[in-house]
Amino acid sequence: MAAVTERRTGSGAPARGSGLTPYAFISPFYLLYGLFMVVPIGVGLYLSFTEWAGLGTPLWIGLDNYTRLLDDGSFRTAVVNTLLYTLFAVFVVVPTALLVAQALNARGLRGRDFFRLTFFMPVVLSPIIIALVFTLVYDREFGLLNAALRGFFGWGGIDWLGEPSWAKVSVMFLVLWRWTGYLTIFFLAGLKNIPRELYEAAEIDGAGRVRSFFTVTVPMLRPVTAFVAVTVLVGTAQILEEPMLLTKGGPGEATLSVAMFIYREAFTRQQLGYAAAAGVVMFVLVFAVGRAAGSLFGVGKGR
Amino acid sequence: MTGISRRTFLRRTGMVGGGLLASAALTACGGSSGGQAVSSGKVDLGVWTHDPGYVKTFTEMAKKLTDAPGGKYDYNLKFTQADSEALVTRMVSQGAAGTGTPDLIGIVISVFPRVMNGGIGKQLLLDLDSTIAPVKNDLLRTAPYTIDGKLYALESDTCLSVLYFREDEFKKNGIPEDVGTWEELAEIGARLHQKTGQSLGMVSTGDNTSVTNQFLQLLLQRGGGYYDEGGNLILDSPEAVEVLDFMAKGVASGFLISLPDPYGAPNTAALKNGKLIATVMPNWYNIYGLQSYVPEQKGKWRMRNLPRFKGGGHIASALGGTGFAVLKDKPGTTAATELLRQTYLTREGQLLRFQKGGFLPTLKSLYQDQEFLSTEDEYLGGQRLFDIYTPASQDSPTFYQNAKLNVLIEALGGPMLETLQGKKKAADAIKEAVAAYNAKKGG
Repeated sequence: MAAVTERRTGSGAPARGSGLTPYAFISPFYLLYGLFMVVPIGVGLYLSFTEWAGLGTPLWIGLDNYTRLLDDGSFRTAVVNTLLYTLFAVFVVVPTALLVAQALNARGLRGRDFFRLTFFMPVVLSPIIIALVFTLVYDREFGLLNAALRGFFGWGGIDWLGEPSWAKVSVMFLVLWRWTGYLTIFFLAGLKNIPRELYEAAEIDGAGRVRSFFTVTVPMLRPVTAFVAVTVLVGTAQILEEPMLLTKGGPGEATLSVAMFIYREAFTRQQLGYAAAAGVVMFVLVFAVGRAAGSLFGVGKGR
Repeated sequence: MTGISRRTFLRRTGMVGGGLLASAALTACGGSSGGQAVSSGKVDLGVWTHDPGYVKTFTEMAKKLTDAPGGKYDYNLKFTQADSEALVTRMVSQGAAGTGTPDLIGIVISVFPRVMNGGIGKQLLLDLDSTIAPVKNDLLRTAPYTIDGKLYALESDTCLSVLYFREDEFKKNGIPEDVGTWEELAEIGARLHQKTGQSLGMVSTGDNTSVTNQFLQLLLQRGGGYYDEGGNLILDSPEAVEVLDFMAKGVASGFLISLPDPYGAPNTAALKNGKLIATVMPNWYNIYGLQSYVPEQKGKWRMRNLPRFKGGGHIASALGGTGFAVLKDKPGTTAATELLRQTYLTREGQLLRFQKGGFLPTLKSLYQDQEFLSTEDEYLGGQRLFDIYTPASQDSPTFYQNAKLNVLIEALGGPMLETLQGKKKAADAIKEAVAAYNAKKGG
């Protein structure tokens, strides 16, 4: 080791400043990481213990924001709504994406590219366009959905965005419409990697399509499914756009999510300390649930 | 690469990069909006607004002032256009950074409560009391932009609410254009709906702001309000119950149609297919609403002053507005104040604003000015606008804001919607909203 060191320093005497050189090389990453990740997280945490409107010196109030959150009915509503959205995304959107991927992966499917494009389209559409279109789709008087219901079944006076429970359903349907195509891409990639021989072997053993799906496709897609499920869980726990676009959290607070609650407190009420406390609580919840789900689904573990 | 080793080059590059990052970080933390005040000559002003109408207006006025003989300033305006909420968010964060704030900013009335919080308005905005002093008694609308008795923004538009109606449909259905009271119009509307399925007004059932805005217009007209001059909540009043009950009954009878808001696609559909043939909205709805959504109905619409409520109140109301504020302690503060004064507090400026953006005068005296009085509107069948606006300006209610207005809107939206859906009594909804507001408003 001594010989190696001598060879590297050449003269045998350590070069001036050589100890700092490696740190200088890696410093840009750490500087940026510190400035844009560590500092904001630290400041956010600090702000959660203060009362601050955005200007002047934050006033230290200890745990008041957290105790206030516990008593805040709006925050509880937001947590429950977010939980519903998350459960829906994991247990409905993810399986739907898998089924769509399976259908798109079928041999001999005509217009495959057209279907792929159609399913993926919602991901690249502007949120403003989505808001405009879905407001009209869901409208009670002039909406496409009620018109279709009236046409097919003779009834259709549902106030999709005005009734609290239907408004939640409407937001969930938008989540389904918007994200199924995106998740399908992951499943399609996974399906392409399943060796054909496994299906042939299953067929020889007498397995039908359904049996093959459950005994070959589902187990072989486990790593992809785990990744998708955890990503969706963490992503939906921070849902903001869909309820914001469609209902702005209404009627009343029926579709309010935690992220919307934070946004509202920070940027319409200037209660940045309170919003930061809600952000910390959301982080803890999402982190804990995300870790638990990761362990449950075996994310990062080998097959 | 002569005379310099690879290692030395990398080391020096790393140091320069680190230095740049550190200086950027330090600049972000420190900085100052200070500098010597510009008292004449060339001045660069940053103007932030959400509406292109203000861009046209200020550009034109700045040019006039610059070109005027003996003009004090040579204005160079740099506009930033963005969503009204985003503008205030950015102003506050730039204010906290101590640099990069605009010189002039348009703050939408519903966003103004944000700057009433935490002393933001007082710290960042210029108190305009001395600027308006010569015309103080002539100004129509100052209350919504007042914090602790001081004015921090000048209203751009009086936002007078009127009743727009389809003249052709009224004639066809034998509806008199001069119905005296809301109660009479509601009876006519109920009969009309039964006969033709048409409605003479709308209620919003969309987001909380839209739901409450329609209510607020009628509440102010009836003589009620959300807050009094001292910022105390006055929502729990007989007027509020009466107005909400009136709206709920109107929805039940079909006199009023339920739509998410007065702007979106469903509203346009209702206007286009003639289901909605009258609506209460402010003056700006003529240009930004009717003319945009149903241009093919040009000449068919008219406007009139609002029918009165039997119980009393005004013949007009108001909804919306944008206050322009000057950022204080900046090099361009004096020049920006002068530009705002010339554009908002002079006859020439008010005329320009009306011509460029359709903004109604905010000085009472101009409602008697011949140039305004003679204005006709082609879309409204050549109607003389100020035959309606002048009496409205003389009997328009005052709207007082509060830093917690957003909390009230969230508390009110849900119960109000339930009332409009026939699930809750108006009095119960108001009580529930007030209780929720008191619980949520905090300190």
